[in-house]
Amino acid sequence: MNRIEKQLVENKNNNIKSLVAYLVAGDPNMDDTLSLMHGFVDAGVDVIEVGVPFSDPIAEGPIIQSAHDRSLANKTSFEGIIDLISNFRKKNTNTPIVLMGYLNSFLKNQKAFSRFDDIGIDGVLIVDAPGEYSLKDLGISNANVVSISLVSPTTTKERTKKICNASSGFIYYVTLKGVTGSSNVDLEEIKSNVIDLQKNTDLPVMAGFGIKNKEQAESISKVADGVVIGSYLVESIFEAKKTTDYKRIYNYLSEIKSVINK
Amino acid sequence: MKNKYSEPNSEGFFGSYGGKFVPETLIEALDELEKCYEDIKSDSEFQKKIDRDLADFVGRPSPLYFAERLTEHFKGPNIWLKREDLNHTGAHKINNTIGQILLAKMMGKTRIIAETGAGQHGVATATVAARLGLECHIYMGAEDVQRQSLNVYRIKLLGAHVHPVESGTATLKDALNEAIRDWVTNVDNTYYIIGSVTGPHPYPMIVRDFNAIVGRELIHQSQASFQSLPDAIIACVGGGSNAIGIFHPFIDEDVRLIGVEAAGQGIDTGKHAAPLNDGEPGILHGAKSYLMQDSDGQIMATSSISAGLDYPGVGPEHSFLKDSGRAEYIAVDDESVMKAFHQLSELEGIIPALETAHAFAPLDLICSEFNEDQNIVINVSGRGDKDIASVAKLEGIDLE
Repeated sequence: MNRIEKQLVENKNNNIKSLVAYLVAGDPNMDDTLSLMHGFVDAGVDVIEVGVPFSDPIAEGPIIQSAHDRSLANKTSFEGIIDLISNFRKKNTNTPIVLMGYLNSFLKNQKAFSRFDDIGIDGVLIVDAPGEYSLKDLGISNANVVSISLVSPTTTKERTKKICNASSGFIYYVTLKGVTGSSNVDLEEIKSNVIDLQKNTDLPVMAGFGIKNKEQAESISKVADGVVIGSYLVESIFEAKKTTDYKRIYNYLSEIKSVINK
Repeated sequence: MKNKYSEPNSEGFFGSYGGKFVPETLIEALDELEKCYEDIKSDSEFQKKIDRDLADFVGRPSPLYFAERLTEHFKGPNIWLKREDLNHTGAHKINNTIGQILLAKMMGKTRIIAETGAGQHGVATATVAARLGLECHIYMGAEDVQRQSLNVYRIKLLGAHVHPVESGTATLKDALNEAIRDWVTNVDNTYYIIGSVTGPHPYPMIVRDFNAIVGRELIHQSQASFQSLPDAIIACVGGGSNAIGIFHPFIDEDVRLIGVEAAGQGIDTGKHAAPLNDGEPGILHGAKSYLMQDSDGQIMATSSISAGLDYPGVGPEHSFLKDSGRAEYIAVDDESVMKAFHQLSELEGIIPALETAHAFAPLDLICSEFNEDQNIVINVSGRGDKDIASVAKLEGIDLE
């Protein structure tokens, strides 16, 4: 069983809500990304989403866009990200890792795709890949890598079914109409949509886009199987980079993990 | 018998190019647009309304003009010019916006957004939005805001808001990124008028169909003027909307179709905007097409004297026509474009847009392949008024 499936099933059986944390590989640099990943795990993060920087990230708000730009300015490459994961796996063989990025990066590096499971990459979330397509349809196949898709507030019922059928690992519910890090989350709407979504799939449902504070995380975790925190972490990493003191971030993650499991 | 050309397929692919590679939130909006567009295609009232607007507001049909002195100069085939520069707002772009704004209105959208490079599409969008009283926001790369300041002011005069985009390379591709982000955020009340045959399905098809009026007129005009179809049609290609508009009605005919890309500082320098000549297939802005990308799949910065062609991608249908061999794509550098710009101004009294001047730059070469009995048509996609200040600056002339 894939690490993502294993971890999330285990959490579900033990009635534990999962915390998924996002960061951009190479921002502020690869060494810090590696230590942040280990710090995330120690703080209680269940799944790490490693952002693959892209020159034209159309789904991202200004915070993550800037992180992509900074990382590319540091000459982050796909091979470099593979090295990052390999290094992470030297110390950690359990925590699931998802690469999140844009289709052109994965197509251009499709040779590496067949090695993903050997390297220790458990899943991919390709923001601009239509959810009803499987990885095989897209020409990047690896039976041991799960394909996580997004379902949004505008997704029709009919499409939701198709997307759930083509997905594995978990379903990522986009909590708002907008780019990452927006602030227009409507908690009641999210909850009712997540409940509808769960009727269509046995996969765990993680909710994210614009979730920042404990209150939001706690409220959403009442229905979702977990929450995803992205922009808020990326911003905090940027703010902390001069001191490279990431303790405040780890404390924040521990608090989130505990409130969603209150 | 040959099958009639019928791209794209129902999934929005031209061969293997095109598709709908966008964040999930937009899929429903694209599906809705596609359905609505299918409805209006067979709605004769809607079509009549478009025809009326094209005649009375845009001034169509645009003339097919015999360029006598240009013909004499090259001593080859007869050179004819399809005068899209004479349209209201000065370019072919209005053919598309006239159609899309009616679609927006029909879909009940109250807010219009668009991206623009040279500013021509921004002006054409702001114009139709003003006419229908719709709120309008134009995204434009900060660098383009500088080099096309006249069009920026025109857009503002028309009551639209201009948003300079500072991210990435601050040019057309970044304006597209930002427009897509706006659309994701405001998808309920907002219609995105894409300005070229790029982006996710159904846009490349819709923008092509609205621009194909140019090619359809040309069929009749060439019969009337020289009693046959043209032997070749030449057009500049950035995203490729003016080219596809004039090519499309001729795809099943025996007519050479020649697209001219921007070679910028030269193909060999890598500083250009010619993905069909020196790029490879990839995915950008919702579609699979030829792109300028590096070995890691990052989109590369482009270089062109003309803001409207300064784009690393190209419409998916052009990628299909290139691979199938149905159309030919060449590229000309900035220096030869400047020569052509002056040549057309001085020989014919027509100052072309810098984008348009690309289609004239390879005439030496192209004319040598035809004889004096043959007829070639060049699409004069836009007029050069917007470029006067930047040309003067390039040539060290102080207009103040």
